[in-house]
Amino acid sequence: MAVLTESRKASLRRELEALVGAGAVLADPDELLVYESDGLTLLRALADFVVFPTSAEQVSAVVRLANREGLPFVARGAGTGLSGGCLPAQGGIVLSLMRMNRVLEVDYDNQLAVVEPGLVNLHLSWRVGPRGYYYAPDPSSQQACTLGGNIANNSGGPHTLKYGVTTNHVLGLEVVLPDGEIAWLGGRTRARAGYDLVGVFVGSEGTFGIATKIVVRILKKPQAVKTVLAVFDAIDQASAAVSAIIARGLVPAAVEMIDQLTIQAVEDAFGCGYPRDAAAALLVELDGLAVGMEAQAERIVRACRDSGAREVRTARDEAERQLLWKGRKSAFGAYGRVSPAYMVMDGVIPRTRLPYVLRRVNEIVAAHGLRVGNVFHAGDGNLHPNILYDPRRPGEEARVVAAGAAIMRLCAEVGGSISGEHGIGLEKADFMPFIFSAADLALMQRLKHAFNPTGLCNPGKIFPTSKSCAEVGPVAYRPHAIEAKGLAQRF
Amino acid sequence: MQDALLDGFRSVVGPANVLTGVALGPWVVEGRTPDAAVFPGSTEEVVGVLALAAEAEAPVVPWGGGTAAAVGAPAARAGVVLGLHRMSRLLEHEPGDLTATVEAGVTVAGLQAALAGRGQWLSLDPPDAERATLGGVLAADASGPRRHLYGTARDLLIGVTVVTGEGALVRGGGKVVKNVAGYDLPKLFVGSYGTLGVVVEATLKLRPRPDAERLMAVSFDRLKDAGAAARALMGSDLVPNAVELLDGAAAAAAGAGRAPGAVLVVGFDGLDEQVAWQCDELARLVAPLGGRQARALPPETWPRLAPAARAAVEPPAAVMTFVVLPMQVAETMEQGATAARARGFVSAWAAHAGVGVVRAAVAAEPAPPPPGPLAAALAEWREMAHAGGGQATLEWAPLAVKAQVPVWDDPGAAGRIMQRIKRELDPRNILNPGRFVAGI
Repeated sequence: MAVLTESRKASLRRELEALVGAGAVLADPDELLVYESDGLTLLRALADFVVFPTSAEQVSAVVRLANREGLPFVARGAGTGLSGGCLPAQGGIVLSLMRMNRVLEVDYDNQLAVVEPGLVNLHLSWRVGPRGYYYAPDPSSQQACTLGGNIANNSGGPHTLKYGVTTNHVLGLEVVLPDGEIAWLGGRTRARAGYDLVGVFVGSEGTFGIATKIVVRILKKPQAVKTVLAVFDAIDQASAAVSAIIARGLVPAAVEMIDQLTIQAVEDAFGCGYPRDAAAALLVELDGLAVGMEAQAERIVRACRDSGAREVRTARDEAERQLLWKGRKSAFGAYGRVSPAYMVMDGVIPRTRLPYVLRRVNEIVAAHGLRVGNVFHAGDGNLHPNILYDPRRPGEEARVVAAGAAIMRLCAEVGGSISGEHGIGLEKADFMPFIFSAADLALMQRLKHAFNPTGLCNPGKIFPTSKSCAEVGPVAYRPHAIEAKGLAQRF
Repeated sequence: MQDALLDGFRSVVGPANVLTGVALGPWVVEGRTPDAAVFPGSTEEVVGVLALAAEAEAPVVPWGGGTAAAVGAPAARAGVVLGLHRMSRLLEHEPGDLTATVEAGVTVAGLQAALAGRGQWLSLDPPDAERATLGGVLAADASGPRRHLYGTARDLLIGVTVVTGEGALVRGGGKVVKNVAGYDLPKLFVGSYGTLGVVVEATLKLRPRPDAERLMAVSFDRLKDAGAAARALMGSDLVPNAVELLDGAAAAAAGAGRAPGAVLVVGFDGLDEQVAWQCDELARLVAPLGGRQARALPPETWPRLAPAARAAVEPPAAVMTFVVLPMQVAETMEQGATAARARGFVSAWAAHAGVGVVRAAVAAEPAPPPPGPLAAALAEWREMAHAGGGQATLEWAPLAVKAQVPVWDDPGAAGRIMQRIKRELDPRNILNPGRFVAGI
């Protein structure tokens, strides 16, 4: 990439200000620092400019300018991503969409909403809640993360077990394509002729263009909800209970597992009512019709007891239910009580392999001299081992990275995936060969080329940096290409 | 067709699995006889066949059960039929994971029977389940009434193995239910009509079979009232698995009863008590809106719902499918029928009302109508759908009509991206060339 001279930079800044307004361009290094990382603070990269467009036309104009200058560009939402996906890996322009945060339309009869990409996920449910509707995908960061970011990452959340992930809820997108053209993919109706461009755009991690309007389905709130807490003295029992629930023909709205280390951190921080001495707890939520809810809850209780649960109880009221969920959703924050830093891992395995994989995860982390807390979407096999560490201790970070790679290798070995909801971004690009062949990756590159032929739109993401994929080892940490060039650093 | 190419096919799949000449009768589409039909028995053989076809730049028509073979723009060259019926194994089914991996040539009915033995099912109910293969269902994005609750193939396909037009074997997605590693390739192949690759294996999300299921029908004197009832149902606490709106002719053809206006057919599944309660609630909900004779239909009615419009005017002169907003369904049906009548045609209408998918079949007495007036009526239908922000596909029509009315809507600016995808993935343009949207 070309380094901009100061005079070139100054003239580009004036041009950008003419496009989006004087108060909507950052170019001073101090200001740019705010945008140098996302939720994965291990990786950082500095942009040349951060701009705050307020319309699709402004986004398009900035993208066209970037194309003219050969400058890379990348969209950014709330910056809560966990794989470095929105980092300006090769410099250039960051388009923050946080000023495009309106709900443009809610059509309750047709159960859809049209929103801008900077809208915070939870704010959509707040908006439609009074009429009895909600937006189903609920990432744990939903109080901060934006719909545009959710589109890029195909975000999930606890309740995706029953309701699916972001892609199952998106009907249409107005996008600014990487060459600056504004186009609609899909629309308000269910399907249209041609390739499912919405389907491939969602989860493309910002490499296919920038969504500027989003049409999503909104769902009727269920008539009734029931939340069950099952407490286990052995983590294997909790894992077995997950399969037992599925085997009894039930698809709960959510099945979350929380291990002992996490329970203790949560109880220290918030006191949510989880027993501190439990090896693991399952939080199971049923929703749907009021009729039959008791009978289904009874099946859950029996499945947990048959798997060895020492205690199974149902939240008595909404307050207790909220408290249990607070424990689950605040778990990441609670790790701050027990460790100065942690690295969130994200992997997926077949549900039936949970007992084996959890044992191996704990062994792997212990072998690297570290501790791990597990809090994750057990119902769909989406693991989140959180490796605790202290960045001030020399060498500890490298061990975290090595343990993380070994866990990803493990997920691949049992037929799983290296990401369930956080994306590949910069973090896992070199792990892609764990699950995809050279031919698989080549086809993905061709698809990328169809949308993004110049490669200027969010470069450096998803695809492995090394040509010789076989060299990627699970243990040795290797600097990412952008680190090697001094454009990013781990800390 | 060059003898050398045929000999090549024979050496890959065995002489018994290459048909030519008069044996090709079952694979004649719209009067076009293919150059050959080739039936590989393994993924490796599919790779071999496509590599040879690519080298010879011979068009290839992937073929499952042939139920959607006539959908699409007529091909300029007939090409080689690549039939997948020999590849029909259930490769993996782990009930505890609620996933299965199958070969593309398995029929939907065959797959469901195998899964039922373990208390599970694939929540997809396309028409012609006895003939339709999973690969074909994915390629045509076929679905049925239960899509109302369970979605379509795009919501169920989690992994796919395809052979590209250059003979490369590629996997997308994976075998786990949640996966965001890399681009979502399974989505790309759903509904792509075999123009990007030949699906040889698929991994699917499954569901446990519900304890109980019941199909209810309610008759209305006026279609409009049935539409209002569908709207009330959608806004209620009920969780139907199907919401079908059929005009009188389609309802009669499906065995859903007789009504001067329309019949609303609603499915429920779940625990016994949930199904019973919802059936009662439905009757209570629709009564003030003019719904009469709420009654249960026999389970055999299910597969007759999606093809009901077509069955009502058999043989149809043409079939058109619309996708509109759910609240526009009844109006679309009424307007469309009126427009057809004004031109002297009869039509029958049936809709997956909750998701806005409407199917209309048109006919004339005495049949068949001349292509000119029929084309004009179909063009008017399409304009009607577009005016409301919807889409139309000419699902079936004689060649003379297809010559005058495009099969597919113009995809607009997105069409440029679609063309680029096609060029990237099938650079020699051998997979179903010319059949799909935007000239693809």
